[in-house]
Amino acid sequence: MPVSHSKTFFKDLASAAALERLLPKLVMAPTFVVTLVFIYGFIFWNAWLSFSSSRMLPRMDWAGFTQYVRLFSNDRWWVAAENLAIFGGLFIVLCMAIGLFLAILLDQQVRLEGAIRTVYLYPMALSFIVTGTAWKWLLNPGLGIEKLVRDLGFENFTFDWLVDPEKAIYTVVIAGVWQSSGFVMALFLAGLRGIDDTIIKAAQVDGASLPSIYWRIVIPSLRPVFFSALIILSHIAIKSFDLVMALTGGGPGYASDVPATFMYAFSFTRGQIGLGAASAMMMLAAVVAIIVPFLYSELRRGRNE
Amino acid sequence: MNKAVGRQHRAGRLFIYGCLLLVAVYYLVPLFVMIMTSLKPLDEIRTGSLLGLPLNPTLEAWRVAWGSACTGVSCEGLKGYFWNSVFMVVPAVVISTMIGAFNGYVLTQWRFRGSDVLFGALLLGCFIPFQVVLLPMARTLGFLGISGSVAGLVFVHVIYGVAFTTLFFRNFYVNIPRELTNAARIDGAGFWLIFFRIVLPLSPPIIVVSVIWQFTQIWNDFLFGVVYSAGNQQPITVALNNLVNTSTGVKQYNVDMAAAIIAALPTLVVYVVSGKYFVRGLTAGSVKG
Amino acid sequence: MHALKIENVYKSFGDTEVLKGINVAIEPGQFLILVGPSGCGKSTLLNIIAGLEAATSGHIYIGEREVTNLSPKDRDIAMVFQSYALYPNMSVRKNISFGLEIRKVPKAEQRETVQRVATMLQIEDLLDRKPSQLSGGQRQRVAMGRALARDPSIFLFDEPLSNLDAKLRVEMRAEMKELHQRIQSTVVYVTHDQIEAMTLGDLIAVMKDGIIQQFGPPQVIYNAPKNMFVAGFLGSPSMNFIPAVVEQTESGLGAFLEGGAGRIFIPLVHCTQALKAWVGKAVVLGIRPEQITHAPEHEGRIQIGVCRINRVELTGPDALVTTCLNKTDVIARVQPSSLCQVGETMALGFDTSMIVAFDPATEEAIV
Repeated sequence: MPVSHSKTFFKDLASAAALERLLPKLVMAPTFVVTLVFIYGFIFWNAWLSFSSSRMLPRMDWAGFTQYVRLFSNDRWWVAAENLAIFGGLFIVLCMAIGLFLAILLDQQVRLEGAIRTVYLYPMALSFIVTGTAWKWLLNPGLGIEKLVRDLGFENFTFDWLVDPEKAIYTVVIAGVWQSSGFVMALFLAGLRGIDDTIIKAAQVDGASLPSIYWRIVIPSLRPVFFSALIILSHIAIKSFDLVMALTGGGPGYASDVPATFMYAFSFTRGQIGLGAASAMMMLAAVVAIIVPFLYSELRRGRNE
Repeated sequence: MNKAVGRQHRAGRLFIYGCLLLVAVYYLVPLFVMIMTSLKPLDEIRTGSLLGLPLNPTLEAWRVAWGSACTGVSCEGLKGYFWNSVFMVVPAVVISTMIGAFNGYVLTQWRFRGSDVLFGALLLGCFIPFQVVLLPMARTLGFLGISGSVAGLVFVHVIYGVAFTTLFFRNFYVNIPRELTNAARIDGAGFWLIFFRIVLPLSPPIIVVSVIWQFTQIWNDFLFGVVYSAGNQQPITVALNNLVNTSTGVKQYNVDMAAAIIAALPTLVVYVVSGKYFVRGLTAGSVKG
Repeated sequence: MHALKIENVYKSFGDTEVLKGINVAIEPGQFLILVGPSGCGKSTLLNIIAGLEAATSGHIYIGEREVTNLSPKDRDIAMVFQSYALYPNMSVRKNISFGLEIRKVPKAEQRETVQRVATMLQIEDLLDRKPSQLSGGQRQRVAMGRALARDPSIFLFDEPLSNLDAKLRVEMRAEMKELHQRIQSTVVYVTHDQIEAMTLGDLIAVMKDGIIQQFGPPQVIYNAPKNMFVAGFLGSPSMNFIPAVVEQTESGLGAFLEGGAGRIFIPLVHCTQALKAWVGKAVVLGIRPEQITHAPEHEGRIQIGVCRINRVELTGPDALVTTCLNKTDVIARVQPSSLCQVGETMALGFDTSMIVAFDPATEEAIV
């Protein structure tokens, strides 16, 4: 660079450098605003609605905990909460058990592993609406599995969970596990592949049998995978909406309602905006209780990188 | 290896393959039944076996599902809704992936004070149950004049998809050494030049992951679709649900199944064509419900 | 005119201050080494010179220009990185010409420069390869080529040899020295390797805790370290630090070293003026291993003492023997031919002309 440049030239260069330092922030600015308004602002707005007396139309007044009192004295809410507990518990346990089992089997140098994995995972590509529609047909008491088994000669076989208020929520479990267990398998398989081979070799040299190697060494070292699978599955469970809508529509009656369908029904079809907002806040609280420890550990891991 | 051990080993392999096969059947049966049912006429469905092959295969149900089935009040099949979904997915995927790429680039190569906090705050966007933003967003879309339209859905999907695409790109770009962008800065390249000449050429794998993930998520979405769209602007998932739950006349199971397959086809094709990237996306951003 | 002047540079990240008032100036053509243990702030300082990081306060001048607030591209510098940072999607040719292209140098001139640089570094055959197809040494050359092509007023090197294996590192070190002597460029070179620092530098700045501990030509720093840190950092094996008490004897100032096999008198001949104040007080004597050798052939200020040998390490050209003096392990560098067995005694000659005395409290040299 020639030395004869004027003072202003270097001033221009300096302000260009200042602009360059500003540019990354400018690029992030829209995302920052969106995050602030559409995530945090909306949560706040929704919280406000839940403390208002809004029904058909949102009203920005202060009604204290009225909506929460109404929510907690609403039978249908408790049915939904109980259903979420049943569905969530079974869904998580079954997905984990099946996923881990399949991952261990697939980890035994199986031929055609790629093809088998493809088959196990394809349900994850489907919309819950499609899954719900398919299982609704399979579980249809008149023409589905019930009829299939009866045609085989078991005349008295009944499988009418779909229309049984006591059992409807279990059909959601069946379809949910069908859709998500393959994914959990993929998580566990990735975890198994990440385990240091030499540890297993060392255990073999020590004379451990294959089952005890898995039980004593491999599975304990999958702890982080269990942890993230648990987080992901419970998250799916709390948010599950589509599947219930497509499979049972929350019915019969409201027997298979979950909080997500409850929130939708009260906010958008029954004109109880305040009550809907309150139920959404409860869902948020549940998710936060699960996610915050996870996020915390995730961020800490990121910092250590 | 002595004989006893050999036999034990063979029995073990048999057990493994037996289990794997049985489970594969469990996963495949619903798809098989869907396809078979969609190819059967209605009376054959009533009389025949659930698992039986169609005696007189016909594409009539597919034709009805595509062109003339009733979804609620209108009876024009799924075709209009299918295209709604296409027009919703394409811009939403392109825009959210682009923004995610820029964000990831800034968050890894141009970090500034507070950028980590911003990322943490954004990450929460991946986790919140969307129920908590449904009501405020409904008001906002009305205020912006795009409620009930495909444009409104694009807007919503971009807003809540950016958290995921940012996460993808950030986790990918964090592995690009800072020295690389520093070298380019010393070579005289600025913010955009470095992005387009150095970083973007390294990005195809993560772009594919992000596009596939966003495509399946947005195509398969039902919650935003059912809340924020109306009439002939609905996406295909909502239309499918309406079609299946329309209670007028005789239940046409074959049409239901054909419609379900039509709704599932785009994401299934993506999955079959790019399974590797699909799985990577699932495990990388495996938090969206 | 200085080629580079760093004035009062401070840098802190949040609450931690990593640079605490750096002042350095070098002339055109000089090879400056920033050396120190990891975390001493040397790389941060280099990044601040490059403009990749902003100083919290202070000024940087390159030539006559103040560049403190300029972006890297306007500072007329080139940099070679530890990881080489070659653009993975571009060929070697493109890597070298990228900076020229951005500066809108005409195509023909770009081609010419690439050719010239490639010839200079003997990488003509590699020009059409991608970085992933190169060995570590080849990548290193390409990284150098990229910097050379730009013909900047200052070259910045950030531990450029640390990723090479030992043999290649020695080769490249010699080559860089030769290259520098040929093109007479101004260089700032960061390393944690004291041998690189000694062999390459015209000037060395030894850094620790964000402060330049000593700045000067390599031999001066080696022979007259300002404090125990600098004394211990340069040289391998590092300087022996032996606690001792300064005494006034008939033959002048000195100190006694107690070994298992006898008492050795070490006359102190440097800075006697300052040391007078330390008579009767404890100091730390710094003696480099090569200043303690097998006894006979030496003359002059050699003090011979008989020591018990506790450990013997052969390095090839010479042997390191460990003895114990004033309850401290002391390493001596002797000829393998004059070695004795472990546990035996051996006569060692102490070259006392180079001994440095340190204040045990401040660890500063007593001058």
